[in-house]
Amino acid sequence: MDILRTPTDLAQRGHGGVGESASRPDGVLKVTGEFAYASDLWARDMLWGHTLRSPHAHAEIVSVDTTEALSVPGVHAVLTHADLPAATHYGLEIPDQPVLAGDVVRYHGEPVALVAADHPETARRAAARIRVEYAELPLVTDESTATAPGAPVLHPNRSDHYADRVPHPNVVHHQPVRRGDLAAAKARAEVVVTGEYELGMQDQAPLGPESGLAVPAEDGGVDLYVATQWLHVDREQLAPVLGLPRELVRLTLSGVGGAFGAREDLSMQAHACLLALRTGRPVKMVYSRDESFVGHVHRHPARLRYEHGATRDGRLVYVRGRIVLDGGAYASSSPAVVGNAASLGLGPYVCDTVDIEALALYTNNPPCGAMRGFGAVQACFAYESQMDRLAAELGMDPVSLRQLNAMSQGATMPTGQPVDAPAPVAELLRLVRDRPLPPPRQWETAVGTGTGFDLRALPGGLSNTTRGEGVVRGVGYAVGIKNVGFSEGYDDYSTARVRLEVVNGEPVVLVHTAMAEVGQGGVTVQAQIARTELGVAKVVLHPADTRVGSAGSTSASRQTYMTGGAVRNTCLLVREEVLRLGRERLGDTHPGWRGDGLWLRDGAVVTAGGEVLADLAQVLGDDVIDLEREFRHRPTEPLDPENGQGFGHVQYSFCAHRAVVEVDAELGLVKVVELAAAQDVGRAMNPQAVVGQIHGGSVQGLGLAVMEEIVVADGARVRNPSFTDYLIPTILDTPTMPVDVLELADEHAPYGLRGIGEAPTLSSTPAVVAAIRAATGLALRRVPVRPEHLTGT
Amino acid sequence: MRTLRYQRPEGVEAAVSAVNATPGARYLGGGTNLVDLMKLGVETPDLLVDVSGLPHHDIEELPGGGVRIGAAVRNSDLAADPLVRTRYPVVSQALLAGASDQLRNVATVGGNLLQRTRCLYFQDAGKPCNKRAPGTGCPAIEGVHRNLAILGASPHCVATHPSDLAVALAALDAQVLVEGGTGPREIPLTELHRLPGDRPERDTVLEHGDLITHVRLPAAPEAVNSAYRKARDRASFAFALSSVGAALEVRDGLVHRVRLALGGVAPKPWRARAAEERLRGAPATPEAFTRAVEAELSVAEPLRDNAFKVPLTRHLAVRVLCDLAGRAGGPR
Repeated sequence: MDILRTPTDLAQRGHGGVGESASRPDGVLKVTGEFAYASDLWARDMLWGHTLRSPHAHAEIVSVDTTEALSVPGVHAVLTHADLPAATHYGLEIPDQPVLAGDVVRYHGEPVALVAADHPETARRAAARIRVEYAELPLVTDESTATAPGAPVLHPNRSDHYADRVPHPNVVHHQPVRRGDLAAAKARAEVVVTGEYELGMQDQAPLGPESGLAVPAEDGGVDLYVATQWLHVDREQLAPVLGLPRELVRLTLSGVGGAFGAREDLSMQAHACLLALRTGRPVKMVYSRDESFVGHVHRHPARLRYEHGATRDGRLVYVRGRIVLDGGAYASSSPAVVGNAASLGLGPYVCDTVDIEALALYTNNPPCGAMRGFGAVQACFAYESQMDRLAAELGMDPVSLRQLNAMSQGATMPTGQPVDAPAPVAELLRLVRDRPLPPPRQWETAVGTGTGFDLRALPGGLSNTTRGEGVVRGVGYAVGIKNVGFSEGYDDYSTARVRLEVVNGEPVVLVHTAMAEVGQGGVTVQAQIARTELGVAKVVLHPADTRVGSAGSTSASRQTYMTGGAVRNTCLLVREEVLRLGRERLGDTHPGWRGDGLWLRDGAVVTAGGEVLADLAQVLGDDVIDLEREFRHRPTEPLDPENGQGFGHVQYSFCAHRAVVEVDAELGLVKVVELAAAQDVGRAMNPQAVVGQIHGGSVQGLGLAVMEEIVVADGARVRNPSFTDYLIPTILDTPTMPVDVLELADEHAPYGLRGIGEAPTLSSTPAVVAAIRAATGLALRRVPVRPEHLTGT
Repeated sequence: MRTLRYQRPEGVEAAVSAVNATPGARYLGGGTNLVDLMKLGVETPDLLVDVSGLPHHDIEELPGGGVRIGAAVRNSDLAADPLVRTRYPVVSQALLAGASDQLRNVATVGGNLLQRTRCLYFQDAGKPCNKRAPGTGCPAIEGVHRNLAILGASPHCVATHPSDLAVALAALDAQVLVEGGTGPREIPLTELHRLPGDRPERDTVLEHGDLITHVRLPAAPEAVNSAYRKARDRASFAFALSSVGAALEVRDGLVHRVRLALGGVAPKPWRARAAEERLRGAPATPEAFTRAVEAELSVAEPLRDNAFKVPLTRHLAVRVLCDLAGRAGGPR
């Protein structure tokens, strides 16, 4: 199999094989505005769907009257809970979410009714004429209100498989991770630091709103074109709701304008299909921006309490933690978020005694679920803040303290799982620490302004708030650990279909998967893999749809590993078939056919020594090789419900950051001037895309550190559902981001690669906040850090 | 279903009479604020009278050194105008501190002055708001208000005026030229916007049908040495938490002329007259600047979550004055 490891030969390099920065097939279309997103979908005679949403966060629905809405000219259908044809609930893991609210609404913005009309404005106005009478109920908004005696139970009669083990029915899932003798360890600890931390609710803020087009089919089924992260899991949830066998529910991926977890749960999918099947017409739904902010899940806000015990020389003796995540009204991916927070809650460190518990609540806040780095992001902010406090308490350098306790290959996780792949945590920290610091008072040396002065390098930026007076620099570090792929015993797989044929004398590979390209560049990598493994320049990617087997979710940093692995394995089987055919048809023409190590290059079969035996056209003739195969990563097992022990994760991913900030403490303004990252990626399948992922994750973490927060107030309502009021970093807020990439192969993974998308999101936030703390001396227990938290008022 | 009429009259008279004749009519300039508010259901006009075609596109130098700016001049054009940049840099800086290139290319001077507050409750047609729906109450006082007023608010409304340009114009004693059907009149910009009192629904003193046609900047030699600074939650594309527009002339170490206005802290662009009063003749020192600004802010009544704006504004204003004092001897 060594021959598989020769993809970097020059002939391949020119074609964009594995390890090269092949350009994205969708890149030019996107930057020129020609790429068709799901919001651009159109069909002849299509209707427009609109969702009526609850104005209350918790209320009983007393009555619904659709008469007036139905009488609006142009309206073709109005649907309520009473009109649902089959299953009434869905959910990623626990089907606790009503397709349309029945007796009760549990969050502000919950879908209550649907309208299909010949114009989006007609649909919107008709929806406003649906009369819904509500009787408001008391709100559950945090741990104390959720678990208080007599608290309203938001989901009575739970039958999910967490129901029996949770301490309260308003707790979705609870996972302890316990290892070692805590009492003995506490007695050994010479230094103890405790801290409480809080993270606000971050939004994925994808630029593309939720959208799709459902087209009823003559066979009674429906074709749905949609921007999603996982076509097949959408279908698994849709088929029971529509009352259709799954083969009559066909999905095709449309252009996805960013995801970051926001598209893991269903949004408009079931609604558009129901309206299409009811009216017999194609139905398009596109959320407005403010609707998008209530129409998808958010990152779990969290409160965390940590206690770190160490010896005087800085070795961790024990770590205790309690992580409370607000899951909002429905379960979504809360169980997995809890599992990550608990199992990764120690961070990338070695400690024999760990007692961490994580739980997610049911509340009447907006539902929270998947967002880049989930569970691990919240924990990382807290444990890295703790490591800095511990370093300060010990009088140690914060990087040295981390390196002293850093895990490496061979370490044992708090779950008991051995770390059986490279874990270069200390090295990643060294890489970011050893970089030269950006010059002090950079605004005076920055070029290009003609004045010897560059406001962009100062807090406040072009707002012109300072010329450097009152500006203090701070430097902060953090490192994090994220799992890759679906964990805790989940049967996680992907599927690839690969077809090889000769068209007009030229070999052509068709790669067909259901992988959702959400901007991550998976389509680029799939083509690179096919070129490398089959030695064919021309690779065509089939649109992602449900005609091929599931690719699993574009999340958990898993698609290059999983669908990349599936494409690779299927390509290898196609190659074997080519060689079999070649030996059968041409074996007598050259002794080389009998040798080992034959491979494909430049459209030909070549020997291990590089001698050409035959063109693919000669081998295949008019035959087509067309194979579809599944690929699985190694199995994991569930975490023990009592102590969290178990081989829970497939792979770990590590990233370290150093943040350099300039803080205007008088005005409370922060400029992150540099955010350096170092990450082990196992194998850089596409170096440019790797750096892009690290940059993107770093900035998303920076946003959580200093500006991004969904404001939930006034009865658990989202108060800032717009890009004017929910602030994400602009390019002026984006620092210089030098990146170091390590390529230490994980032998369990295809090409030795490591999932990369999420890890940079973890350590970015605590590194930035550590730098602000270093500049200001403030404790800063909560993110995002805003001006009022720095001005001391 | 709501229907909406749209007109694009040729002349000022026709525009004014069209709006005067229709109680639910609104003037439409660049639409960057009005159209947003229509989408939110906050504004529900029956008639839009598009005034972007009226002859108010010029920036003219006036005898005596002033400048007259047409109400339909785009923000980006005004910010780039050489006359404005050299004589009134505070105006150019204020414009460039606001919005984005794309918005500034569309937004007009008249519309900028009349934009409505970014208070979350005003923007949410489903919530009470005395400014949007008089008498319904002000949830911001107990609610989300970190970005709202510390000066000039009332128990009925704590909204802030969002314009950056208006702050600069307030500092410069700009005059607003208005046509209302009974002949043109001039209103000092500092008197254009109202404090809410018990009528927060009225942002300005304008009557229905009044059309801003021009803004006149009087000659102000000290405005050559002027600046605008703005503190906000990110480096660009955000409204002010606090902003300062100022002009300063120092003679023999003493403040000879000073103009100071504050933004993002009050229901109107806040001309800091108390501070100016203290500064005239005072030494141009950081201490004197601090005392003067503190005097201005002594009447501040912050809410639960916006007390940080008081020191923020003080620091910002003192810095602008120090900066202008440092430059007063000549260009650096």
